[in-house]
Amino acid sequence: MWIENPLSTSPAAFPILECIHIAGFALSIGMTALVDFRLLGFGLQKQTPAEIARAFDWWMLGGLIVALFSGLLLFSTDPDMYYLNWSFLIKMTCLLLAIAFNYTVHRRALTSRISPAVGRLVACISLALWISVIFGGIFIAVVRPGLS
Amino acid sequence: MLISFLIWLQNLEPFADLRSSAYVYPIVLALHLCAISLFGAMIVATDLRLLGWALRDGSIADVIHRLRWPKRIGFLLAATCGFLLFSSKAEEYYYNPFFRIKILLFLLVAVHALVFRKSVYSDAELERASEPPASAKLAASLSLFLWLSILCAGRYIGYVEGRSGMHFK
Repeated sequence: MWIENPLSTSPAAFPILECIHIAGFALSIGMTALVDFRLLGFGLQKQTPAEIARAFDWWMLGGLIVALFSGLLLFSTDPDMYYLNWSFLIKMTCLLLAIAFNYTVHRRALTSRISPAVGRLVACISLALWISVIFGGIFIAVVRPGLS
Repeated sequence: MLISFLIWLQNLEPFADLRSSAYVYPIVLALHLCAISLFGAMIVATDLRLLGWALRDGSIADVIHRLRWPKRIGFLLAATCGFLLFSSKAEEYYYNPFFRIKILLFLLVAVHALVFRKSVYSDAELERASEPPASAKLAASLSLFLWLSILCAGRYIGYVEGRSGMHFK
C-alpha cells in the first residue's frame, strides 16, 4: 500500500524543518569557521586552533547531525525534484568533500605540527567547501526543474 | 509617508535591478546565510562560555573581548545583505508580519544589550570568576532564545505570499 509522506501533505512541516536545518548548519559551519579564522589569525587568540576545535567539537557534530537529519526529511518531501536538481547534486558533492576534509586533513592540521602557511591553506579550503554547500543549498530553489 | 519612502527606495535603480536579477538576488541571500552562520556561531560560543559549558579554561571576559569585533563585523555583513534583500522589495517587507516580528526582536536584542552591558558584557570582575554568575547565565539564555527566534522569523518572511511573492516563488 502506498502511504503519502505526511511531511508533504502538511504545509507547516517544510518551514519548521527549514528553520531547524538552518540552525543546525549555522552552528556546525560557524563553529568550523571559528577554527578556520583562528588558523588565519583572527578571533579567540588565547586558545590554539586545536583548543577551540576541542571545545566546540560536540557542538559542531550536534549541529551537523541536526542539519543532516532535517535535510533528509526535507529531501523526502520531493525526492524526484532534488534528484534532478543539479544544484542539489553539487551541494551533496561539496558536503561529502567538506565532511571528509573536516575529519581528515582539517583534524590532522590541528593535531600535528604544521607551518602557519599550511594552516592558512587548510582553513581557506575548509571555508570554501562549506560556503559552497550553503550556495548549493540556496540555488536548489533557483534552478528547480520545471519552475524556471 | 513611510510607505512612499519604501516605494521610492525599492524603485531606485540598484534595488530594482536586484529585484529582477535571476542570480544576484540568490547570491545575496546565500551570503546572508554565510554571515548568519559565522555570526551565529560566535553568539553561541560566547553564550556557551557565559553558561560555563565550553572554553572553561579561558576567562569569560577574554572570550567576550576577543569576539567583540569579529561579531560586529559578522553582524554588519549579515545586516548589509539583509538590507539589500529588504530594499529590493521594501513595500512587501513592510506588510510582512514576520518581518515586523523580526524587527521587534532586534529591538529586544538592543534592550538585552543595554540591560546586561554593565553586569555581564563589560564586567572586569568576570575575569576572575570561576563559576559564571546567575546574571551571565540569564543573559546567555535570553540571547540564545532571541537569536533563534530571529532566525525562524527570518525564514518565515519567505512564506508570506506578497504581490509578486517573496524570494523566488
